[in-house]
Amino acid sequence: MVLLALAALVLGVAWGSFGPAGTPLDLISDNSDLILYALMFFVGISIGLNKTILQKIREYHIKVFIIPFGIVVGSVAAGVVCSLLTGVGARNGAAIAGGMGWYSLAGVMLTEMAGAQMGSVAFLSNLMREMLSFFSIPWISRHLNYYSCIAPAGATSEDTTLSMMVRYTSEEVVVMSVFNGIICSAVVPVLIRLCYSL
Amino acid sequence: MSILVVMFAGVLVGALVFPEKYKKHNERLQVVCTVLLIFSMGVMLGRREGFLQQLASMGLLSLLFAVASIAASTVLVFLLTRWLMDKKKGGK
Repeated sequence: MVLLALAALVLGVAWGSFGPAGTPLDLISDNSDLILYALMFFVGISIGLNKTILQKIREYHIKVFIIPFGIVVGSVAAGVVCSLLTGVGARNGAAIAGGMGWYSLAGVMLTEMAGAQMGSVAFLSNLMREMLSFFSIPWISRHLNYYSCIAPAGATSEDTTLSMMVRYTSEEVVVMSVFNGIICSAVVPVLIRLCYSL
Repeated sequence: MSILVVMFAGVLVGALVFPEKYKKHNERLQVVCTVLLIFSMGVMLGRREGFLQQLASMGLLSLLFAVASIAASTVLVFLLTRWLMDKKKGGK
């Protein structure tokens, strides 16, 4: 799966950079929204097939917030540490890492608030976070625990990286992953602005 | 929001009418969709004005932020869930 993902990414970038426009392959990239919808529908089927999930999730109550809490705190702390190492400024660093994988939004917000250079770093680093999630989830599921697989994915854990959760964790953790993605996605815009204004 | 509606429709289909024996096929379709999505993301990036130059100049700095935030989040979530949540259910 990891090799497939990597090959798809490299081929995609190569095609986007050097391939001619207006070929049938464009149908794929032009309709990526539809592909995401299809994926979510199939993931929904996987969840629906497991009859006991919702009951299990109810047992967790307030504990379902542990994972998004850990992700937010870990990301912002990492951003601050990196900013000290690289001299980009703690506010910038925290805001960049506060994107939690939502690269389009983080890129746009940082460009507006801190200029094109920080915007590029926010875009690229959050994109890399999403990409690296694909590759780190299999390792984390083997060596740590299933819950931790949600951590690298951050705000993307309810869409693009969800298929990795389906493959490498349990149905129950998939549902928590959806919940985490919704919470983190709601937090990202507020968190970026808050970090930058402190 | 519409994405959640679509997913919920899938949950209903899975819970009510989807035959268990096609579970594997459903999972295979997810892999196909994921690969196509990643490909589309690549195409989108490749088409972006100056993407490769941006990658060359800010790539390392961005990579540091990405790796550090993944590592810190993962370690923190691992410690918190091991401490506060059911080990068996989140097991390996």
